[in-house]
Amino acid sequence: MNVSDILFYFLSALAIGSAILVVISRSPIYSVLWLIVTFFAISGHYIMMNAQFLGIVNLIVYAGAIMVLFLFVIMLINLNTDAKPQKGKWLRLAGTVAGGCLLLVLVAALKNTEVKGMGVQVGTGDIGLINQLGKALFTEYVVPFEISSILFLSAMVGAVVIGKK
Amino acid sequence: MTLIWIIAIFFAGGLLCWAAQFVNRVLIKWIALIAAVANLALVGAAYAEYRNGSAPGDWLIDYTVNWIPSFAIKFHIALDGLSLVLLLLTAFLGVLAVLCSWKEIKERVGFYYFNLLWTLAGITGVFVAMDLFLFYFFWEVMIVPMYFLIAIWGDSNRRYASYKFFIFTQAGGLLMLVSILALFFINHANTGNYTFDFFELQNITLSVAEGRWIMLGFLVAFVIKLPAVPFHSWLPDAHSEAPTAGSLILAGLLLKTGAYGIMRFVITLFPQNSAEIAQWAMLVGVIGIIYGAMLAFAQNDLKRFIAYTSVSHMGFILLGVYSFREMAFDGVVMQMLTHGISTGALFAMAGMIKERLHTREMGNMGGLWTGMPLMGGLALLFAMASLGLPMMGNFIAEFLILVGAYEVNPTLTIIASIGLVFAALYSLRMMQRVFFGPRTTPDRHPEPFLRQGELREGSAHSASAVYDLSAREFTILISLSVAIVILGLFPQPVLDSVNTVVQSLIQKNTP
Amino acid sequence: MSNEQLLALLPFMVLAGASIVVILMIAARLSHTAIQVAGFLMLCFTVLAMGYVRDILPQEILPLFIIDGFAALYTGVIIFSVGVVGLLSYIYFEEREENPKEYYILLFLATLGAAVLTISRHFVSLFLGLEILSVSLYALIAYLRNRNNAIESGLKYLILAALTSAFLLLGMALFYMETGSMEFNAIGQKLAGSDPGVLFKLGLALMVVAIGFKLALVPFHLWAADVYQGAPAPVTAFIATASKVGVFAVLMRFSLAVNLQQSEFLLNVFSGIAIASMILGNILALRQQNIKRLLAYSSIAHLGYLIVAFLPGTREGIEASVFYLFAYAITILSAFGIVTILSTRMKDAEDLSVYRGLFWRKPLLAAVLAVSLFSLAGIPLTAGFFAKFIVLLTGANYNLWLPVIVLVLTSVIGLYYYLRIISTLFASAPAAEPRHKPLHPFFHFVTYATLFVLMVMICVLGVFPGPAIEGIRQFLMIR
Repeated sequence: MNVSDILFYFLSALAIGSAILVVISRSPIYSVLWLIVTFFAISGHYIMMNAQFLGIVNLIVYAGAIMVLFLFVIMLINLNTDAKPQKGKWLRLAGTVAGGCLLLVLVAALKNTEVKGMGVQVGTGDIGLINQLGKALFTEYVVPFEISSILFLSAMVGAVVIGKK
Repeated sequence: MTLIWIIAIFFAGGLLCWAAQFVNRVLIKWIALIAAVANLALVGAAYAEYRNGSAPGDWLIDYTVNWIPSFAIKFHIALDGLSLVLLLLTAFLGVLAVLCSWKEIKERVGFYYFNLLWTLAGITGVFVAMDLFLFYFFWEVMIVPMYFLIAIWGDSNRRYASYKFFIFTQAGGLLMLVSILALFFINHANTGNYTFDFFELQNITLSVAEGRWIMLGFLVAFVIKLPAVPFHSWLPDAHSEAPTAGSLILAGLLLKTGAYGIMRFVITLFPQNSAEIAQWAMLVGVIGIIYGAMLAFAQNDLKRFIAYTSVSHMGFILLGVYSFREMAFDGVVMQMLTHGISTGALFAMAGMIKERLHTREMGNMGGLWTGMPLMGGLALLFAMASLGLPMMGNFIAEFLILVGAYEVNPTLTIIASIGLVFAALYSLRMMQRVFFGPRTTPDRHPEPFLRQGELREGSAHSASAVYDLSAREFTILISLSVAIVILGLFPQPVLDSVNTVVQSLIQKNTP
Repeated sequence: MSNEQLLALLPFMVLAGASIVVILMIAARLSHTAIQVAGFLMLCFTVLAMGYVRDILPQEILPLFIIDGFAALYTGVIIFSVGVVGLLSYIYFEEREENPKEYYILLFLATLGAAVLTISRHFVSLFLGLEILSVSLYALIAYLRNRNNAIESGLKYLILAALTSAFLLLGMALFYMETGSMEFNAIGQKLAGSDPGVLFKLGLALMVVAIGFKLALVPFHLWAADVYQGAPAPVTAFIATASKVGVFAVLMRFSLAVNLQQSEFLLNVFSGIAIASMILGNILALRQQNIKRLLAYSSIAHLGYLIVAFLPGTREGIEASVFYLFAYAITILSAFGIVTILSTRMKDAEDLSVYRGLFWRKPLLAAVLAVSLFSLAGIPLTAGFFAKFIVLLTGANYNLWLPVIVLVLTSVIGLYYYLRIISTLFASAPAAEPRHKPLHPFFHFVTYATLFVLMVMICVLGVFPGPAIEGIRQFLMIR
């Protein structure tokens, strides 16, 4: 077990643990903060897989921009404890059971696959480097790249329409 | 071509009626009447030409044209003796239905006649379609306008009745469609060609199990339409809520499509399986006879009463068909005609009484004879016909069926003939309650019937006034009574027409 | 990318261009009418472009797209639906105070998303198309945000759609893990001959969740009624037609590529979904008093019927599904067209009482609605009957007796609620309320004319479906 293995398990535990905390935190602000931690952990994974560019972008866009935006919004609308949505005990229980079932099925299914032999390959591959990514995006995947600009257009127009006044 | 003309005239007449709504209201009725009379003339001419039936295995008229070649669907219509007599009945009752509605329908007249004529077109199509897809198509085409007739111009409970009618028949129809598809593919598996053509499918060989299920699909559709117990519950509602002409067509024609379907398709396509269930079917028929009669006896509503007598009479058809005897088949054909006429007449009369008294309750009637002796006399005639008095067509029909069935199953036949006794009971009770007994309603000054029609114009809305038949009503009833008496005295022409059909059915069904 | 490949994408580029044109027109402060006309012209150009490129089909644009007859047919249905929806939108939004112009941008973008789905042969394009479609739909559903249900239903759709997108992505990742490819055909080749592994099944299950959500199949149907009710009537028509056609097209293409129907197990899963949709959709619709909700439930049932045609996974199945979708699109568009026309400024005409006695007040509108309801119920003389007939024919041909029988029986249940609306239409009328003068007589006329044409199309397709089926067959030859 070398350093990168330890790092891998640490980051994984961190990602899962903080993701769980996102869900169970009572205050939305804590949720957002935990989400940022999750993103950091995932970015760490990217970097370990030699995808520095993706890792950095992930940090900048999600943890940096979007989550800060979230934080501001939550603080601005000033949710206090009264305004917190009250969910019934049964609803929570049902949600937990349903989610647990899904987890169970996923784990049970994945247990049988041959992924056991396929260890995580840390520090190899070059797909996540900016050079490779750029090549792929502007040659083979140029059409979806263009199409995704349309996706942003529609998101933008939608946001403007809903948000104005 | 005659057949296409008949169907086309009904369809086009219907459209014209609707269009005429925007031009002139009086025109509508006349268009409808002209269309109906023209078709009666056409069918009459066809009857004169072909009345002796066809040579065995031959068809009087046979017309095919491709319709949807992608699915091997053809527009195939053909005529044989059985179809011919039923067409005659359709055209005849069609004219009377138009006449019946002459004064009764006061609003949305154009759309009314549109629906009436399209129902008739669908029925005509059902009687001549020889492509199974086309048959299903017409089967549905006759239901939809009928639904509108009940749902728009019906009585107080019309919504419920129209749903029930539509959903029952549609359920049967869809099962039939599945059966038709099954036949289509089994035939393809056997012979390698896709066809819905009845002539070709006639020669299909089916395994017993396949045949059983497929036949059941057809049978359910027809038995619901017939109707046989326990699928009869739509009928009293639909009949009693429908406007007069609607009831007339329902009882006179729609029920006959079920009987026709059994004769034309079920026992022809599935002779073995039919033999299998023959005893059960006869039993169901007999149950229908007795059960219908008992329920009829208990009714207070005049139209419901007539509806239940229909259930009883239609039981004879199942009894007759599934005895597979020549005489019984003859009787079944006669029963279709005579029941159409006599029950149609009773419904027409119920409509006329309702127009006068604004009620269907027999409890509110009574002693009508003094107010309208003419109608009373004719009602007596049809009540007698309905209970199977000799000299009327119904007697011939039921007698032939009973004789035919006796050879096969004496016990059931004896029970069935008890139904005749019941028929006498309920018919006479009806007469007693409606036309005899103490008067419950005032009558208007009795005058010769010819002038009364005109008089009525002015004071049609005066409540519960009893007056005798108008000229139009008299024409309707007298033509029905002449028809029923002629069928009773000279049934031979009808039997001649259907002779070859019956022979071939016998051949198919004699192991 | 060769010239021909680029040319084959022309219709899609025109469609994308349409939204840009609308943006520019808004910037130039042109009127709603001008935008409406321009939008309509752009759609016409799209159709022309499709006709123009027809001869060079099929074109494969590796690795993402394939433009063949199959895609052309589904795209055609989508463009047709959007044309009608666009026309209906004019009077609907003109009567409302909010600025309707941006609506057209979103409408065209959503159309583009649906159209991209029909030509996808790769997970990337599938996902992009689906996202363009959904992101535009979020805003479209919540467009009239001052009304009660608009934001609620938009949010509901947003959250559920985002959730299912996540499912879809995870499913794709699992596929990639199993086969090392994201192309449909490559996946199919990898799997050929071998029993699909657990990862594949799991991925498929996750994808079914996402696709089932978009198609509103049971048990992923929970959003349908609320969204149908909350969205503006033309948008509801769009969701019911264009978006479902696109998603169904990609489902069909994917399943053909990976031979989904070969697997007994998956076949059972899909027939289970179909049966559940047919039964539950029809039963939930029975007691609805709100016509938009009712149509939502009926659309669940109809998609169930459609899945019966999907089950065989053969040429006949595709034929049947295209015809079914076309007939369904015409039918549901005319039904929502009536809802749109009858809607007032404050409220959509969704309550059944609005329709009471409509036949005697506005015979044409009522006739259109009655015909379309008959078509939905599958009564002969209408396109819906023939569509259902072909589906039954296909099902019976491949011995899918259980779904076929369920289809038949549930149609009978369905009949009840369609009849309920129809008999309401023909019930005796209350006094006609004074109707304010229509704002734009010309557009009212055009809308009426369109609805009339739709009704005629329903009837013609119901009586003479032959040419349409031949046309579909010819298009499917292009592959």
